[in-house]
Amino acid sequence: MEIITENHTEEKRFKYFGSGLEFAIIYFKNILLTIITLGLYYPWAKVELLKYHYQSIELDNSRFSFHATGKEVFKGFIKIYAIVIALYAFFICASQTQDLTLITTATILLYLFLLLIIPFAIHGAVRYRASRSSWKGIQFKYLGDRKELFLLYLKGIFFTIITFGIYGAWLQVDIRKYVFGNLYFGDLSFRFKGSGGTLFWITVKFILLIYITLGIYGFWYYKNIIKFYVDHLEVSQNGKPVNFKCNIKTADIVELLVINFFLLVFTLGLATPWVTVRIFQVILRFIVIEEGLDTQSIQQVSYDAYDDATGDDFMDFLDFDLL
Amino acid sequence: MSYTIVYYDGSSSKMHKALLQISASRWEITPVEDAGVSKKIYWNTAVVKKTNVHTEKFVSFSYGETFPFQRIESTDAALIKYINSTKNSDIDTFEVLLHTNKKSSFAYLLTALLGIAVGMYFYVIPAVTDSFISNLNNKSVEGFGNFVFKVLATDLEMDAEKTKKLQNFVNAIQIESTFPLKVYVAKNEDVNAFALSGGKIVVYTALLEKIKNESQLLALISHEISHIENRHVLKNVTRNLSGAIFISVLFGDISGINAVLAENAHLFSQLSFTRSLEKEADIYGLKIMKDNQVDLYGMSELFAISKKETTFSLPIYLSNHPMLEERIEYTKKIAKKQNIIPENILLKEKWDALKTTFTNIEITDE
Repeated sequence: MEIITENHTEEKRFKYFGSGLEFAIIYFKNILLTIITLGLYYPWAKVELLKYHYQSIELDNSRFSFHATGKEVFKGFIKIYAIVIALYAFFICASQTQDLTLITTATILLYLFLLLIIPFAIHGAVRYRASRSSWKGIQFKYLGDRKELFLLYLKGIFFTIITFGIYGAWLQVDIRKYVFGNLYFGDLSFRFKGSGGTLFWITVKFILLIYITLGIYGFWYYKNIIKFYVDHLEVSQNGKPVNFKCNIKTADIVELLVINFFLLVFTLGLATPWVTVRIFQVILRFIVIEEGLDTQSIQQVSYDAYDDATGDDFMDFLDFDLL
Repeated sequence: MSYTIVYYDGSSSKMHKALLQISASRWEITPVEDAGVSKKIYWNTAVVKKTNVHTEKFVSFSYGETFPFQRIESTDAALIKYINSTKNSDIDTFEVLLHTNKKSSFAYLLTALLGIAVGMYFYVIPAVTDSFISNLNNKSVEGFGNFVFKVLATDLEMDAEKTKKLQNFVNAIQIESTFPLKVYVAKNEDVNAFALSGGKIVVYTALLEKIKNESQLLALISHEISHIENRHVLKNVTRNLSGAIFISVLFGDISGINAVLAENAHLFSQLSFTRSLEKEADIYGLKIMKDNQVDLYGMSELFAISKKETTFSLPIYLSNHPMLEERIEYTKKIAKKQNIIPENILLKEKWDALKTTFTNIEITDE
């Protein structure tokens, strides 16, 4: 039995099987339907694009799977738009009164709402995405607590403000640690080991070097950021941790971004699906799970039937993407 | 016929190589080279769920009403062919067709997209916004104008006497206006005047004092009244906004550079729309002048004043200077048709009263 198990613990690589043309058909079909329906089709479009990417990612001879439905995402989408319209209506009404205190209050409330909703949106989005994602028939699951995340965020925002933004790096890392610390895949658990200090120095180097190098340092920055997020990720099986690793080189980033840039510019954006596919192909090609994870003996634990996509829709509205 | 598949039972990640046989009522899954699972698994055909997305050379299915869900993955070309040939709905048929000849599907989609985008931008959006504004009730139009005026008024220093006398002039105009006309004279060095939706007109002193007679003044006022009556401000704003939103939705997700290109194209098309509104206001203004029996040449004379004052600080494509010449031409053409030069005694009287308030520019000039 032991021998069989060890057969499946070798290093694992991700592979992306998406094709530009195939994805272009899905992409343009969905843009078309979204325009015709004046935007109402957007939730279904989003789900189909995500399904395509999930089903194109292979790890250990098995594809990922995304089970969200357009209907679930649509419900959240409507809620978000109702909230946003109500907020703006309130803001416009207040500004029409010409009452300075009322306008100030309304402005503060609006920004406060947008600021404080973020942890709830992250919670909802991660929980929804996790509950709708699977691999080898095993479900992902997020067990984080909304209140805990909110307090963590509140603390982070407070320190970020009083340190004039410096603490922002620690805030980002703390949230990532919390999210991964509460993410499960069957009986596997995750951990993010990065530190705010490391992210802070990556950012400082970026600010110092980006102008001097006329933007060329951007390639190194992207490499550092990707490596920071991947190399500090760890998955545990029966208490035994296994590391994720990204071996991408700056040259790979240069090739990826420069070609993508020309593809977009010379096709007036029509190459977007090919560009997206290239990003997935290149990034995933360099991500490995180091030796030690037995992908044949992961046990299903329980299922989180969380069908509220509001948080996910809100993240989309704020133009944040989950990674 | 049996297909090669990979089966996951939903309770562990263990991969089971298996053979699949499909009949009308059930799917029969037979594990191979597997000591652990040897018995067959049956799925009820009606409950099998296909993952609803097309990825090349790969299909997957899930099964089960309740958790945990079983799963099948396959790269067997025969199974993919079989699945694509059994269509359960029109949507399936459409999807399969779309993914069969990919290059031509792509060309069709692109053509349709381009057609719809062009149609929306040039026909649907203008038609919808224009009809929306035309059907908007007067109260809302006035409300919008008042709101804008409130914001602008804080920066304007009004000349009370000129305002009063110009209002008298406007009251003497023979016109059936939908909105109560209210004029304001603001102290300003710019040679300019503008109308707000809902009946408010603001004239700057620098322009007012360059006017020589009542027909030029009526030309100015009637041009602004046309903007008000035809709801040009609102039409301009809504069309501009909705066009800009459409462009940003279309290009927003693509890339910065293309979005900038698209926005500039939108700016150009907006400029031409503004020009068409100006022309409409000129023609309608001439009609008001004709009804009030004043010299129609007042309009082209007014433009001559504007033209003289226009500075060339703007790049030529943004300047309305060439347009002014064109406007002088076509308003002259219309004025030529007026045989006798009429006189409106009442308007002349009000104009003379207004003129007394002017700081005598001619004298200071000399």
